[in-house]
Amino acid sequence: MRSGEIRIRDAGVCYRLYREKVTTLKEAVVNRFRHLRSAEMFWALRHATFTVQPGEAIALVGHNGSGKSTLLKTIAGVLQPSEGEVATAGRISPMIELGAGFDPELSGRDNVYLNGALLGFSRRQMEAKFDRIVAFAELGDFIDMPIKNYSSGMYARLGFAIAQDVEPDILIVDEVLAVGDERFQEKCKARIRDFRTAGVTFCFVTHGFEGARELCPRAVVLHHGRLAFDGPIEQAWQRYRELEAGPQPGPQLATGQS
Amino acid sequence: MTEAVETAPAAPPMPAPRSALAELFHFRQLIAMLVVRELKVRYKRSVFGLLWTMLNPLLLMVVYAVVFTTIMPAAMHNFAIFLLAGLLPWIFFNNALMQGLWSVLGNQELVRKVRLPQAVFPLSVVGSNLVNFALSLVPLFAMMIALRQPFTPALLFLPVGMLVLTLFTSGVTLLFATATVFFRDVRHLAEVLLQMLMYLSPVLYDLRMLGEHHEWWFRIFRVFLRVNPLSYLLPLVRDPVYYGRLPPLPALGVATAGSLAMLAFGFAVFQRLSPRHIHYL
Repeated sequence: MRSGEIRIRDAGVCYRLYREKVTTLKEAVVNRFRHLRSAEMFWALRHATFTVQPGEAIALVGHNGSGKSTLLKTIAGVLQPSEGEVATAGRISPMIELGAGFDPELSGRDNVYLNGALLGFSRRQMEAKFDRIVAFAELGDFIDMPIKNYSSGMYARLGFAIAQDVEPDILIVDEVLAVGDERFQEKCKARIRDFRTAGVTFCFVTHGFEGARELCPRAVVLHHGRLAFDGPIEQAWQRYRELEAGPQPGPQLATGQS
Repeated sequence: MTEAVETAPAAPPMPAPRSALAELFHFRQLIAMLVVRELKVRYKRSVFGLLWTMLNPLLLMVVYAVVFTTIMPAAMHNFAIFLLAGLLPWIFFNNALMQGLWSVLGNQELVRKVRLPQAVFPLSVVGSNLVNFALSLVPLFAMMIALRQPFTPALLFLPVGMLVLTLFTSGVTLLFATATVFFRDVRHLAEVLLQMLMYLSPVLYDLRMLGEHHEWWFRIFRVFLRVNPLSYLLPLVRDPVYYGRLPPLPALGVATAGSLAMLAFGFAVFQRLSPRHIHYL
């Protein structure tokens, strides 16, 4: 595989759902162990197949619960597919959860290093990035305050500032552009355009057509965990609107063994 | 924008698929940072900070010293030191296990969001407890000076003994951490088992102190003590501190081999099951 490539082949992710209904003592006991055996299986994603070439930009589109987040998590490597294969090459910067792992008790400075370590960077590497990150986040002296005292905007800015400085081969963005005020949002968008011109593979989860068309010529539409369309963004959006207008069957549950 | 230049390195390091161990090694600094975080957060805003770690065993020791020298004098010389030399490693094992088994669940927000080897969580708990263990040696040494317990060269062995105990504790903690994800009951089970285990291990007594009895239950107890890993591990600390001698070489060999096996087993099981954790959080 070439660096920056994403290859997804017949990928499926199955969640177990268990319902709590206890009527007899026996059930109460059996239910304690039931979650290990049979449970209601819910395929949040199934039979998804597509490839993203290095440097390509695609938008992931779909209604709530269509499997977008599940797909993103498998690409980011947080979740293993239950079946099929998800392969990526290169460093991934998941801007899915900005500031995941921030500890509110620690200072901004400590959190920059902690967050960097969570992404697999050494202390020395983070030292080289530190000033850039603080400058990007526009935090000034607040960097030495515990981040529980930060406003939500400052918190998100610091999260984005770290995520944008990781030299990724694959960038995953989950509509986190709604970060900070309008000016900071512009700055984030400019940063993402920089990544695009630098040839970084780009996956963008969004509900907004304008924002997506600006960055991604191609889109993948997910509908109830299935890949409904893969192609040029205009047609993809048309398909997405059709599907949204159609009947809503609701999530499908199937009972079976793992 | 000026930063744009730096974002396109000519040849970014390509993280090839790594083995579990290499992956863990890559994240070694994260473990260190989680240890520091644990200590920083625990002692934040407390006036004495890290001193509490030392104060705790010191107070314990003063109580023991008073009780066993004046109120009910023990037959043994410096019984307070004897007790501490058994209790400090036990407290390390006990606390690391009880905190560590919940560590994957306690960090579930991260497990759900960030791709990292989950073993860093239990291992960092063991690490922070090891720091506490090491700090608690300071008051122990202070007490040894106060009670005129001789300092012998055997004390130089102490780091080795602590290392072996740490390997064993890490293995057990990894095992219990993954088990707790699937069955939350494990925490309560472990609590009860640890309470029993403390009395069934040579923490407050020494194997040599046991007399000969011929009752059947005592024979069972004897057998249990022989298979109990702590019977081999606790002397690694007590022998140099209290008796001022090195543990017997065969015992050290058994303890080291057993601890390594425990760690390998615990890590293998943890690694095998950790991809499924996310479904049970």
